[in-house]
Amino acid sequence: MSSRVALPSRARDNIDWPLLIVVALIAVVGVVNLYSATSVARAGISDLYVTQIYWLVAGGIAATVVASIDYRHFERLAYLIYGAGIVLLLLVFILGRDIHGASRWIDIGGKDRGFRFQPSEFMKIILAVSLAKYLHDDPKLPTGPGGGGRGIKDLIGPAIIAGIPFALVAKQPDLGTGLILLGIFVSIISLAKIRWQSLASLALTFAVAAPLIWNYALHDYQKKRFISFINPELDIRGANWHAHHARVAIGDGGLWGAGYMKGTQNHYLFIPEQQTDFPFPVFAEEWGFVGCVVLVCLYAFLVIWGIRIAASARDRFGAVLAIGVTAMIFWHAFFNIGMVTGVLPVVGVTLPLFSYGGSSVTTILIGIGLLMNVSMRRNVVG
Amino acid sequence: MKNIDPRRARWMKFRMGVLCGLLSTGLCSIVASAYNIQVKHGAEWRMIAERQRQKRLKVLPTRGSILDRNGEALAITIDVPSIAINAAELVRNVPEKQQPALQDAAAAKLATALNLPFPEVQAKLKSKRRFAWLKRRLSQDEITAVRAMIDPRKPDAVKGVMIEGEGHRFYPGREALWGLVGYVSGDGSGIDGVERAFDEDLRGRPDEISALRDRKGTVLFGDGLEDERALAGDDVHLTVDLGLQFQVQEDLEAGLRAFEAKSGSAIVIDPNTGEILAMASAPVYNPNDYGDAPIEARRNHAIADRVEPGSTMKIFTIAAALAEGKIKPTEEIYCENGSWTIGGVTIHDTHHEGMLAPASIISKSSNICAAKIGLLLGEQGLYSAFKRFGFGETTGLGLPGEAAGVLRARGRPWYEVEVASASFGQGISVTTLQLGMAMSAIANGGKLMEPRLVRTVTGATGQLVREELPTVRREVVPAFAARMVTEMMTGVVEEGGTGREAHIPGYRVAGKTATAQKADPATGKYDPDKFVASFVGFVPAQKPRFVIAVVVDEPWIAHLGGQVAAPIFRRIAMRALARFGVAPSGEVAKTAVTFPLEDPTPLVYAEAKAMAPDVDLTGPGGSVVAPMTAPSAFAPLPASSPSALPGAQRVIVPDLGGMGARDAAHALVSIGLLPVFDGTGSVTRQEPAPGTLLLQGSAVRVRLSPGS
Repeated sequence: MSSRVALPSRARDNIDWPLLIVVALIAVVGVVNLYSATSVARAGISDLYVTQIYWLVAGGIAATVVASIDYRHFERLAYLIYGAGIVLLLLVFILGRDIHGASRWIDIGGKDRGFRFQPSEFMKIILAVSLAKYLHDDPKLPTGPGGGGRGIKDLIGPAIIAGIPFALVAKQPDLGTGLILLGIFVSIISLAKIRWQSLASLALTFAVAAPLIWNYALHDYQKKRFISFINPELDIRGANWHAHHARVAIGDGGLWGAGYMKGTQNHYLFIPEQQTDFPFPVFAEEWGFVGCVVLVCLYAFLVIWGIRIAASARDRFGAVLAIGVTAMIFWHAFFNIGMVTGVLPVVGVTLPLFSYGGSSVTTILIGIGLLMNVSMRRNVVG
Repeated sequence: MKNIDPRRARWMKFRMGVLCGLLSTGLCSIVASAYNIQVKHGAEWRMIAERQRQKRLKVLPTRGSILDRNGEALAITIDVPSIAINAAELVRNVPEKQQPALQDAAAAKLATALNLPFPEVQAKLKSKRRFAWLKRRLSQDEITAVRAMIDPRKPDAVKGVMIEGEGHRFYPGREALWGLVGYVSGDGSGIDGVERAFDEDLRGRPDEISALRDRKGTVLFGDGLEDERALAGDDVHLTVDLGLQFQVQEDLEAGLRAFEAKSGSAIVIDPNTGEILAMASAPVYNPNDYGDAPIEARRNHAIADRVEPGSTMKIFTIAAALAEGKIKPTEEIYCENGSWTIGGVTIHDTHHEGMLAPASIISKSSNICAAKIGLLLGEQGLYSAFKRFGFGETTGLGLPGEAAGVLRARGRPWYEVEVASASFGQGISVTTLQLGMAMSAIANGGKLMEPRLVRTVTGATGQLVREELPTVRREVVPAFAARMVTEMMTGVVEEGGTGREAHIPGYRVAGKTATAQKADPATGKYDPDKFVASFVGFVPAQKPRFVIAVVVDEPWIAHLGGQVAAPIFRRIAMRALARFGVAPSGEVAKTAVTFPLEDPTPLVYAEAKAMAPDVDLTGPGGSVVAPMTAPSAFAPLPASSPSALPGAQRVIVPDLGGMGARDAAHALVSIGLLPVFDGTGSVTRQEPAPGTLLLQGSAVRVRLSPGS
């Protein structure tokens, strides 16, 4: 128990089976759902689920590798990794591919034969690692309830770490990823004790900054989406078109659903982007409210389990890292399902392990690998 | 966190618990909204989904076909692609700044591909409307160019372009059928002819079903509806025989050319059923380009023209007088030696005769004697007789533009002189169709039939929707009167009759010539140079199969009915007899019908010759064997037929299954059998069956179907 020599074997003994099982369950349901979502012959994407399985395998291997290296190596290399991530984000502007008016992808190995890769996805993990590193190294440790706590000055460091990738991602523009980065940042900071006065002044700053952001930073289509979220009946055919059709499909599912492969809204192509941003309506139409509850419970279990891992982590770095990864998964699921059910405006955020996409799947699985890493080494001392 | 102090760890755990709670609340709110959508308001959303799948569904049913009695297409609808643009879809997900450039580029491409002016296309793209036609009825080159332009595999594919199949009406029969079939307007509704008369059947039922569609508007028939045919219009099967129609049209036009006539019409009717077998009208226009034809040229002269009938009316006058017992068949009437004055008007005869029996009154066409017979019937008697024969009212054919004709031109009962002139067809007006139907009543033993143009109406899947049965309108004269008049009419085509030109060797023909002067509309007086020449008759006289009415308006070279219309009648009659295989006795298809070489049926002969060039089709005595078709209206071909050619032997019918028309024709003709083809393609059915013993000269019906 006191020796680091015995660590590898012990880490292996501590495989977090509940985490593994719930992730595997979500992934399997995700592929099954993707098969139905893309089985519409005329859409010409009916073999996407096979590619998705390849990505799941690739991501699983990556996760295994990430889980087997002691995360303290990542702690040492955190800022180096961060630097590399920022460079990749900058590269997007030079090499990036324009899809739907936004450059988010880098082509590797040629446009047609290689694959596209989205650095902003990996930036989410990198941000969690970097913030964990910063808070781990921060000498001003808060000292329990009532005393101390972080002031605004203490948040400048984390804010810069999160701000640089956020600015780059927002410039692409990719509102969805930006929101996820923000979510990770806020989730982590909320655990790093902040004085309530500081919180108040932050809120004030936001109140001042919001109109400025609205006028100068947001793109027109983003503004439109926001307005249409506030008043959804305004323009069903325009900006709110996606959300409307998604909601129609969900509602069509009813309590018990239409049955697997029988979702008419999907099969008649009424659900837009059904393989990437809108797999949930497909699922909801076919499995109904009952299926939705089961799916949300799976994500809820994953999130609670992630927080549990953070709570039992060996050190501050592990705890913050686990919180960061868990926050990433939570915000992904929350934004995605929230926007299709009308709780939130439409932003391009994927549903973890449900949406098709190599970068998305591997990012999530690497995050799971990190969670596993922290969980396996919770009892290791030193 | 094992390596930090317990107080901090507790604090940390507390915060994590709070976080856990917050995140769970977030997920719960999602579940709550899912509950709201799916369970609480599920029914409403489902209704929206239903509507979305079904609403704005614009399904134009395919118009039904018009077919002849053998199933040959007279009017069909083929899909001609049209191009529409969804201007909103074109710029969907494109930042506003880039939209004008994209619209301009797309407009330039589309304008070039479709040969449209650039500003017009540009305006439609800028409008952002969700549906606007760009061009209708594209050529093959245009559609190919557009397809390449919108290929989704291309990165610069133009979005929002929709290719819609629009039904375009096509008339394979072109000129031959124009007056009968009519045409449709640009939006697909029938304007004239059968297209208009049976528009309800042909049009289909756009409102009766709701269909499913996907987001792109593609119609997806799911539950309860197998295919689009359930929407389609019904097919109308006419009584017309396309082959005969072509020939009648050809003969009529040839006759008009030969006599330099203004216009003309000809009808072939089956007197036993009232079926219209052919209805020709000339001059013609092409219904495929009906817009190019002047309105005046779009008249169906067979039903729309009111002409003075002239001498043909004597038949009906005498038939009525015989029926009423006013005259006896052998009773001789004094014909005043060619000149008779009544009511201050002098009536003349071409032939100056003394006493004539009714048969001779008909064959010599005496106006004076006809007038005397008419006067015997009296004003009321003659008027009601003409009425009963169907004159002065429409026939019930149902085609638009049919004229009723006028009996009492001044709207009051005739004066005595008017009775006299009406008796031989002056001062009244009739249509060609009325003449044909009235003559059918003589031919079939006294029954006025309703003209029958449609046999059946069938759905697109082949089910019978409606069958129109032969209808007797009324008994006009007793059978004995009709028979007597028929006998009298056979004299017309014999030596010394006015209609010698209508004589057909081997057949007994009953008919009547007529030559009417035309009144000048300006003066109201008869124009000495303008005539209507006609011949109405039937064949074979003892068992009538065809009533044929030929009316030629303003022939210039000659003007007598016997000179102008009778030869046309003869040609048409011979074609009909050959085509339907009617023997001189009136029996059907017992023998191959042959005619002397000088007047073969060139079209059929040429076809047969083309199919089997090395076979001698010339029968004994230099006659040409004319292949014939025997449609189902007549008795089916008997399994064995008596000899048509002297010295004919029995031969075994070969198996023609799967052969092409040429091979089948060769196989049959080379052993002395006559092929009767139906359809195109390869042989799918034959009658009689292979292995049957048949006498040489007998016909074998062969059904050809494409693609097997």
